[in-house]
Amino acid sequence: MKKILYIILIITIFILGKQTKTYAQCNNKLVTICSGGLTKNATYLKELKVRLQAKQSGKKAPIARYALMLSKGTHYRLSICNAKEFSGKAIIQLYDNNNRLLGSSYNPSTKKHYSAFDFICNKSAVYKVLVSFEDGKEGCAVGILSMIKN
Amino acid sequence: MIKYLVSLLLIISVIACNNEQNQQSDDGFGSGDDFTVPDSILNQEEAPLEVSEDAMDDIIENVSSPVEMASLLKDEGVKFNYKLLSPTDNADNYNSNFKQALNLGILGADLGYLNMYNKTTSVIDYITAIKSLSDNLMIGQFFDFATLKRLATNSENIDSLMYISVSSFDKMDSYLRENNRSNISTLLVTGVWVEGLYLATQVAKDTKIDKINERIGEQKMALNDILIIVDNYKSDKNFYKLSESLTKLKDAFKNVKITYEAGESEMKEVNGVLTIVQNDKSIVTITDEDLAKIIETTKEVRNEIIRL
Repeated sequence: MKKILYIILIITIFILGKQTKTYAQCNNKLVTICSGGLTKNATYLKELKVRLQAKQSGKKAPIARYALMLSKGTHYRLSICNAKEFSGKAIIQLYDNNNRLLGSSYNPSTKKHYSAFDFICNKSAVYKVLVSFEDGKEGCAVGILSMIKN
Repeated sequence: MIKYLVSLLLIISVIACNNEQNQQSDDGFGSGDDFTVPDSILNQEEAPLEVSEDAMDDIIENVSSPVEMASLLKDEGVKFNYKLLSPTDNADNYNSNFKQALNLGILGADLGYLNMYNKTTSVIDYITAIKSLSDNLMIGQFFDFATLKRLATNSENIDSLMYISVSSFDKMDSYLRENNRSNISTLLVTGVWVEGLYLATQVAKDTKIDKINERIGEQKMALNDILIIVDNYKSDKNFYKLSESLTKLKDAFKNVKITYEAGESEMKEVNGVLTIVQNDKSIVTITDEDLAKIIETTKEVRNEIIRL
């Protein structure tokens, strides 16, 4: 009898533990936190929510892709925020329609992460935004596109 | 005793599973299908879609925010004009999902225009009308009416007002697409876009500001995308009519030329922020005659949408 009680107790703790652990921050709270970090001169335009699994062995690291129309003469900011409960550090990258990398929140040569980068757009077109996690780790992040008033 | 314990375990498991499902649907990172929505025009004809849902998602994401257009007008020193806005009185009288969704988009763009010019007193009428339309479309749960109303009474909160307004529309749109209601999402996005263009063209009618004219010309790209998604539902007679109107507008844009000049981007640090200055350029060529045609056709399309 004691054994059965012990097993039930372990299973209950496991189930409830899983519940409380699940995405304490990986939800709309993260969007609120991330948008709250926008500076006074920034106007929120769009949020990009990303939740990716860890890279599987022999496969490419998962990447979230978005297409955004950006307008000439506009100063944009791409910010990225990570959910604390995951070890994966998000990288947000901007590509043009010729697949040229224009900007990234991560510099691989210095291994430095930036919370945001700005893009002064001079060509109205559809751009690609890619979000991935460093070393293909599991992660949850929110990217925010905002417009900067100069 | 064992029976009771096993029952207890089962109950805990069921509660746990339910909680997990709810959590996924609330956060917007999951599927979000926690309840079904009866919708008279959902899957009306069951006609196969020419463009996949994924491709449609990309196109819908592509359409730029109406806030950008309103911001351009303000930055160029254009005065706020209340007469340009769609009246809110009609909101309760649109009696089809089709009209409701299109006009939800129209009023959403107007709300962005009002917020950009800090016209918080008029904002309340618009958020009331938007709430009513979104409730009719069963997406009112994403429109934080109470908070918006509170923020609108305090003009110092304009950034929060702007954020919650835009974010509410994003959430409604995402929910619609996740729940196979892309037809409604298409109308919402179309309404937003048409009103943004209407505001800009009405300004262009009375002023000659190159940046605004150029932004109008650039809408040729967005219009092509919007027509693709609207045409996807052309088997419905309302969508068919909308497609015809937008095709007329496409015709007005046909002589607008968009050319590109290549250049190397520069990277520098400005006030501690990594900044990329793009040296590629897009150049829009639009004649006065073509602009006049676009202004007139946009007005026709928009007025047809807001008509009861």
